[in-house]
This record gives sequence, C-alpha cells and structure tokens, in this order.
Amino acid sequence: MTNIQAKEFNQNFQFDQPLAPKRTRWEEFWLLFRQNRLAILGLFIFILFFLSALIGLFLTSGTNPVFDPALIRLQEKLRPPLAEPHLDSLQPEEVPRLDIYLMGTDDLGRDVFARMLQGAWVSLTVGFVAVGISVLIGIFMGGIAGYFGQHMLINTISVDTLIMRIVDIMLCFPSFFLILTVVALLPASIYNIMIVIGLTSWMGTTRFVRAEFLSLREQDFVAAAKALGVSNFRIIFRHIMPNAIAPVLVSATIGIASAILTEAGLSFLGFGVPPPHATWGNILSNGKNFIFDAPWLTFIPGIAILIVVLSFNLFGEGLRDVLNPKLRERG
Amino acid sequence: MTNDTLLSVKDLKVYFPAGDGIARAVDGVSFEVRRDETVCLVGESGCGKTVSALSILRLNPVPPAEIAGGRIMFDGQSLLKLDEESMRRLRGKHIAMVFQEPLTSLNPVFTIGDQIGEAVSIHENIGTEALHRRCVQLLKSVGMPFPEQRLKDYPHQLSGGQRQRVMIAMALACAPRLIIADEPTTALDVTVQAQILQLFKSIQKKRSMSLLYITHDLGVVANIADRVYVMYAGAIVEQGNTVQIFRHACHPYTQGLLASLPSRLKRGKRLYSIPGVVPNPAFKPKGCPFHPRCPYAEPVCREEFPEMCDYGDGHLARCPVLFDKRDL
Repeated sequence: MTNIQAKEFNQNFQFDQPLAPKRTRWEEFWLLFRQNRLAILGLFIFILFFLSALIGLFLTSGTNPVFDPALIRLQEKLRPPLAEPHLDSLQPEEVPRLDIYLMGTDDLGRDVFARMLQGAWVSLTVGFVAVGISVLIGIFMGGIAGYFGQHMLINTISVDTLIMRIVDIMLCFPSFFLILTVVALLPASIYNIMIVIGLTSWMGTTRFVRAEFLSLREQDFVAAAKALGVSNFRIIFRHIMPNAIAPVLVSATIGIASAILTEAGLSFLGFGVPPPHATWGNILSNGKNFIFDAPWLTFIPGIAILIVVLSFNLFGEGLRDVLNPKLRERG
Repeated sequence: MTNDTLLSVKDLKVYFPAGDGIARAVDGVSFEVRRDETVCLVGESGCGKTVSALSILRLNPVPPAEIAGGRIMFDGQSLLKLDEESMRRLRGKHIAMVFQEPLTSLNPVFTIGDQIGEAVSIHENIGTEALHRRCVQLLKSVGMPFPEQRLKDYPHQLSGGQRQRVMIAMALACAPRLIIADEPTTALDVTVQAQILQLFKSIQKKRSMSLLYITHDLGVVANIADRVYVMYAGAIVEQGNTVQIFRHACHPYTQGLLASLPSRLKRGKRLYSIPGVVPNPAFKPKGCPFHPRCPYAEPVCREEFPEMCDYGDGHLARCPVLFDKRDL
C-alpha cells in the first residue's frame, strides 16, 4: 500500500475506539479467576481462615480474652461439640462466652473452639513465614544457579554445580529429623520453628526456578533486554522471574500446606510450640489419647488442617492458570 | 578511519569451541558504518553475520564464545576494552538492536507499555507522566494505530508486524546513534516486510542515525542499503556501494548470489544455484574458503587466503584471480 492510499484509508476509517472493550489488568485477572469455581472456593476458605486466625488472635490473647484457650474446667472435661455447659458447677467467669461449647472441650475441660482459634494464627504464620523464607532463598539460589550457571568460580567448579550440590546435600538429610534435631537444640519457640522449616524446605523451589531459568535465559526477550542495557540483576528478577513464577507459586501454596503439616507434626510429637499455647498439632496430639471417647478432639483439628491445606492447593492452581498470559483470551 | 566513521570493526575474530576443534565463526571481519548511513551485511545462514553483530554489543555468551582478536571502535571508544558496566550503559542508549524474531523478543508477561517504558527509563530519569507521553509518541512514530490503547496490550495480543514495530520503538527509545537490525523482517510475510522496511527508511531519514542491517535477502539490500558487505564463511568477501555490488559484482560468490535471484529475464528457466554448501566453520578449507564451490578456482586459491583487491572508489573484493582478469 502506498503512502497516499494509506492516508486515504486512515481518513475514511477513523475508529474512535478499538473494537474490543478494554479492561484494566485487575479486572481481567478477576474475570478469569472467577471462572474457576474450585479456585474461588479455595480463595473463600483461605480468606475465612485468614480472618478467623486474625480475629482469633485478638479474641484469645490479652489478660481477659473473650475466648480463653487456657481456662481449665476439670468438671467439664470431654464434653462433645455443641454441648451446653453445666452452669451450676461453674464459676461465673468460667462460663463459655456463647453459653455453648461449639467444638466441645478437651481432657482438661478447655474450650476446643478457643484453642482452635488460637491455633489458627500459629498455623497461618508458620505457613506463610516458613514458605516466605523458603521461596525467597529458593528464588535467589535458583535464579543465580540458572542464570549465572556457566560462570566458573576460581576456575574449578561452576556456580551452578556449587549451588545444585548444596541442594543435593540438603536433600540428603531427612528433613523432618533435621528439623527435630535443630528444634531440640534451639529454645522452643514459634519463630525458631518457622525459620527452621523455611531453611529446610527451599531446595524444591531452587530446582524449579533453576530449571525455568535454564530455558528462559535462552529466550530472545532476554537477549533483547540485554541489548537494551538492562542489568543482570534486573533481568533475573524483573524479566525472567515473572515468567518463572507460576511453578513457584504452585509449589509455594503446596509448601504452605506442608509447612502447616510439619508444624502440626512437630507439635504432635511435642517438639513444637510449648504447651500452654494451643496449635492444631498439639490439640490433635492431645486428642489421640481419647480418640474413642472423644473423637472430636482429633477430628476437628484434623479436618481443619485438611480443609486449609486443600484450599491452598486449589487457590494455587487457580492462580497458576490466571497468571499464565498464554491462557488469557484476547480482550 | 575517517571522522565520518561511527563504527569500525577491524579484523574481528570470534571463535567457539566445537567438539575437539575450534569453530571460527567470525574470522577476521572488518567493516565500517559511517554516520547517517545504511550498511547491509549480507550472507547465507551460518556465515557469521549474527555473531559479528552480537559481538558489537558484546552479547555473545562468553564462554563458550571467545573474541580471539580484533578491535571494535564506536565513536572513538574501543568497545572490546570497556568494562561490563560501561558496556551496559552503552547498549540501548547509543547502540540498539532489533532482533530477528519479533514473536519471542518481547517479554510475554509485561504489557508493551511496560517494556517500551523500561527501554527509556533504564537510561533516563523520567517522570511517570512524561514516560507515558514518550511511549505513546514512540509507538506513533513507528506507525502503530491506537498507541494509547496498545500500550496496555500484552505481546500475544499483537500481530507479528505490530510486535516488530514495538521492538523498533524500543530500539528508538533513547535515540541511539546506531541501530543494528538482525534480519528484522525474516519472520514476517512479504507485505509486512515491505512496511517495516519503509519504516526503517523513513525513521533513518528523519532521525539521522546509522543502520547496520543484517540480512540474507538481496531484494531487501537493493531496497535500503547505501553500502553492502558480503560475507562468506566468517570473512568479508566483497564490499562496495549498492550500485557497485549489484551492477559490477567482482567476487564469484556475489556473482553466484546475484545469478541465483529470480527475474523476469529468467522466466521459465531453471534458477542458478551455487554448487556445494557453506563449509563447516570448524573445518574450513585451506586457502580461499570459497574455492571448492568456485567456477574460477585456480591452484593458488587452494593455498593462500586471498587478499582484498581494490577496484577503486571503495569497491573491494577478495578474489585476486578475477582481479587479474578484469581487463581481459
């Protein structure tokens, strides 16, 4: 088409608007995400869990909490869920807030609902902080290994070899026993557990990220970014990372689930958060002694862990689908 | 090297390890790009065009690639001696590159607005508002319809030609003095190719910058080049302005290339093709690398690597045999 023809064409067809309606990124994101029912369910449960953990933190802490997870009423032990308290045998301040034991009581007569609320916060923070630590380490190590892999250190081994052998070594340790050992040596505290879980679970992410980087760094857009003068650091974290993030997100959501499980396991074995503080793991561990007399003591925290872990997985998969621009439609 | 010279590459050698030998992908290439000039680097696949171009920006991965010798001068600076940080500041700002594959050269997870914006903001301190205006203006200058709306699009929402326009806009972002275009139209269909070439021409005229255009397509060369370098097996075999190359080709390889172009005069006849294949860069024949395929080969061609012969007026060809016969 010559220039004159092109000009005429443009004069004859002046569109005010492109034909397809335009949406912002978030609208588009939400529209796509909404189509995935299970992911929405996961998100919903996740928000519910988050809110209850947050509200639970406020309702169960302080000197005179609304729901007191530590209050012992020996005369009311092992009451089933939804049981009404025997008001005649209780002091006024011992009466549960809702005049009902929503989730029953344990062998010391403590309100399981209050303890579940308190434990939710522990699970939430352990899950997020531990996975946050492991993802940060994983992305950093994997990114360096994948991107600078060819560079030699002191002319003997490459960066890639060094990092991946460290990963192999870390994977050789049975991680649960490593965690047990470390926890046995460190003072028992929730923060130590988060950090230890984080420091022993980054290897999978590192491998994922490295594998993604190995293929992505050969892509033309990386060469194009280099030709524009983008620095290596920026190429790694701004250009390649968003392309490599999908498997990391999926593994992170599963990681949150498994961190929650690990913490529950540690608490179950008595190595977790020290006793007066409730966690889902130690409620479960406590309940196993009464599994035939008071099954709710094991079922309630067990099902709570199951639902939360499942919701994270569903949410993660939904995110993965939406974050992949190739699955987006034109719009 | 005259004052007019923007880029001069002297005796550049880039080697790759290949099995137990060395692949001499670029073996003593010299060329010059003057200010405001379009230079074409022509040759068939695997002759070292792209490696030479990438070496200018030092984008060949080192290792495995190794720059074994030579000098690259850009505007008085020796690029091979610069440290990595100064080199990075030069890329995109003074020398920009447009790649062969517009389909994969854009980052799929960012909008094109983000990407053009980055091309600008990496080298310049610029506010958000001004950056946005600059992006719109850049897209407009490469002839993109609805630049405002297109900024919010992701690369997969654009056609190949549009993506190449975006790539060109990114290359233009900091008004570089030299643009290296590595077969920018190869992946596009012919009509889009014509539009993109037109775009290159008009931009180059408007902005007074130099263009180093790498291609294997002689039609493209005839269309845009001021001067032409013909490459074969890692070396320049002939150089000259467009008329000299197309009317008076003096190297048997260039003559062979021109003879194999289809034209009206050859309608219905079988097209000429140069016999044989490009030598493997790891096992180049001794002497002139073209001699196994050359109709004029003489014993001397098997022994000595030929020197450049001067036909005058900037027209050089690496074939002493034909040079000696030129008056006959």
